[in-house]
Amino acid sequence: MAALCRGRHRWKKTNCLYVPTRNLTGKYDYDLVVIGGGSGGLACSKEAQFGQKVAVLDYVDPTVKGTKWGLGGTCVNVGCIPKKLIHQAALFGTALKDAKKYGWQISEPVCHDWATMMEGVQNHVRSLNWGHRVQLQDKKVKYLNFKGSLVDEHTVKGLTKAGKETILTAKNIVIVTGGRPKYPTNIPGAVEHGITSDDMFWLKKSPGKTLVVGASYVALECAGFLTGIGLDTTVMVRSIALRGFDQQMAGLVTDYMETYGTKFAWKCVPKRVDKLSSGALQVTWTDTQTGGEHQDTYDSVLWAVGRAPETKALGLDKLGVKLNQETGKIVLATDESTSVPNIYALGDIGEGRPELTPTAIKAGKLLARRLAGQSAELMNYDNVPTTVFTPLEYGCVGLSEEEAEKRHGKDNIEVYHAFYKPLEFTVAERDASQCYIKVVCKRFGDQTILGLHFTGPNAGEVMQGFAMGFQCGATYSHLSQTVGIHPTCAEEVVKVNITKHSGLDATVTGC
Amino acid sequence: MAKYEEVSVRGYDEFCQAVSERKGKDIFAYFSGDKDDQGKSWCPDCVKAEPVVRGEMAHLPEGSVFIYCQVGERAYWKNPNNDFKKTLKLSGVPTLLRYGTPQKLVEEECFKADLVKMMFTED
Repeated sequence: MAALCRGRHRWKKTNCLYVPTRNLTGKYDYDLVVIGGGSGGLACSKEAQFGQKVAVLDYVDPTVKGTKWGLGGTCVNVGCIPKKLIHQAALFGTALKDAKKYGWQISEPVCHDWATMMEGVQNHVRSLNWGHRVQLQDKKVKYLNFKGSLVDEHTVKGLTKAGKETILTAKNIVIVTGGRPKYPTNIPGAVEHGITSDDMFWLKKSPGKTLVVGASYVALECAGFLTGIGLDTTVMVRSIALRGFDQQMAGLVTDYMETYGTKFAWKCVPKRVDKLSSGALQVTWTDTQTGGEHQDTYDSVLWAVGRAPETKALGLDKLGVKLNQETGKIVLATDESTSVPNIYALGDIGEGRPELTPTAIKAGKLLARRLAGQSAELMNYDNVPTTVFTPLEYGCVGLSEEEAEKRHGKDNIEVYHAFYKPLEFTVAERDASQCYIKVVCKRFGDQTILGLHFTGPNAGEVMQGFAMGFQCGATYSHLSQTVGIHPTCAEEVVKVNITKHSGLDATVTGC
Repeated sequence: MAKYEEVSVRGYDEFCQAVSERKGKDIFAYFSGDKDDQGKSWCPDCVKAEPVVRGEMAHLPEGSVFIYCQVGERAYWKNPNNDFKKTLKLSGVPTLLRYGTPQKLVEEECFKADLVKMMFTED
């Protein structure tokens, strides 16, 4: 037996008999092994039919607090899905207040029960875990609850929770391991006493009075829904909110949150977190503008200070898979290939890729088709719309105003804008000062739309249709030729006509 | 000694009784249309699925419970307000589910032995 153990042969244990897993024709166990069962990984493995043998490895390292979850990745378990459901729970809270003005006799006080909400949310998440499991089985994709790592460009090692090893060989390997929330590295008490979004969506008890550290969309969305369900919430921002997004729009989002009860500690940096004998957390921070030190107590501290790619345990350096030095993400070509032939990557782990579920899913499907020789189509990462589900939602597609100015020059762009009031806010006597639309266009020629921005209710629903127009190269004239649907907030987008250049008041008057 | 306990019930009340008497246990429930005196169900899919489900029962976890529940006659089942549809949220028969979890297989899914085995063997 030992004499046959040389070169590229791999051996798999079956009881006491060692069976070669690559026969003399060089065939592999699998045509495709996907490491990571999230949005990208599941889409890729389910699409890879055409007679291909596919395996997907999914494994969740528990958080510091011990939280873990099932198949489906971040989006299903600790991201988009629970986030949107809890955001909805918070919106209902606001709606209940509005409802009184519409005639509903609601007896005060109306309270929110965290456990009831979480039971509903977690039941839905678990049904998605199961649904994915059934789909994989149905499509004959082998599912392995193993932590995958690379041995060489055709070999994957899978490790069970108990430490048992399995070796798989594959013609092609796709790395779709995504990312996990970062903890701050220089704040005593941060890891022991704080939580991240990974924990937030599985908390059995309400987080109570919460300090959210960070100003990314994760931080603002979480702070937004916590405020909405009635919790005392503070957001601690080191510098600016929603970095990378249009800053005027970011300001409207945070202004709305402040008006509606979220506290903001601007330009502040936490120094330490201590646990008091009462169980409460005492946070000490520095106000970087005054230099002064402050303290306050919270029931929970949520770190939303960025996400790190899950590459450490993969063994990528051993294989020479090139990573971006700054971000730690995998460097990819336009066809999702890495620096090592037969190894691909997509989703959050890819350098320069949007950290969004729809792009991961689409890229995963297209890659599967290409690997099966069914298509040559590459993923188009341009014109990707997105929405931030803060209490006042913000949807956008294309360039921010600042980016458009940078690329085309301030004098070569025209910005049409409008402050509008959703009809539903009128009877409810709600403040609509931050409901706003901005269409950034090329100033001359066809006036091609470079970016579309919208804050208001159901921003995601509003933006989806406009994203198609954007994809088709819509111009300002296409927009203004489109008849609005009345009465909606979305119609205000096609009606924009005041430019920033004109200096005129952009507030829409009623019809 | 059998690895699992098999219980046979008819109707919603008997089903709930069987469940409440076995709190804390891993309960699998299979819902079928009533069988006539010849042992044949009015539900053709149930007739097809039962041997498949029974064929995988050797894989049921140790200490678990398998409840075989006849839901009622066709007319009772067709009524959208029957207790199984309203309270247990069943959408069709046959349904195989793991009580208290979102794990379930409905109708044609029950014809697939590998899916049934998956439900009995995975967490």
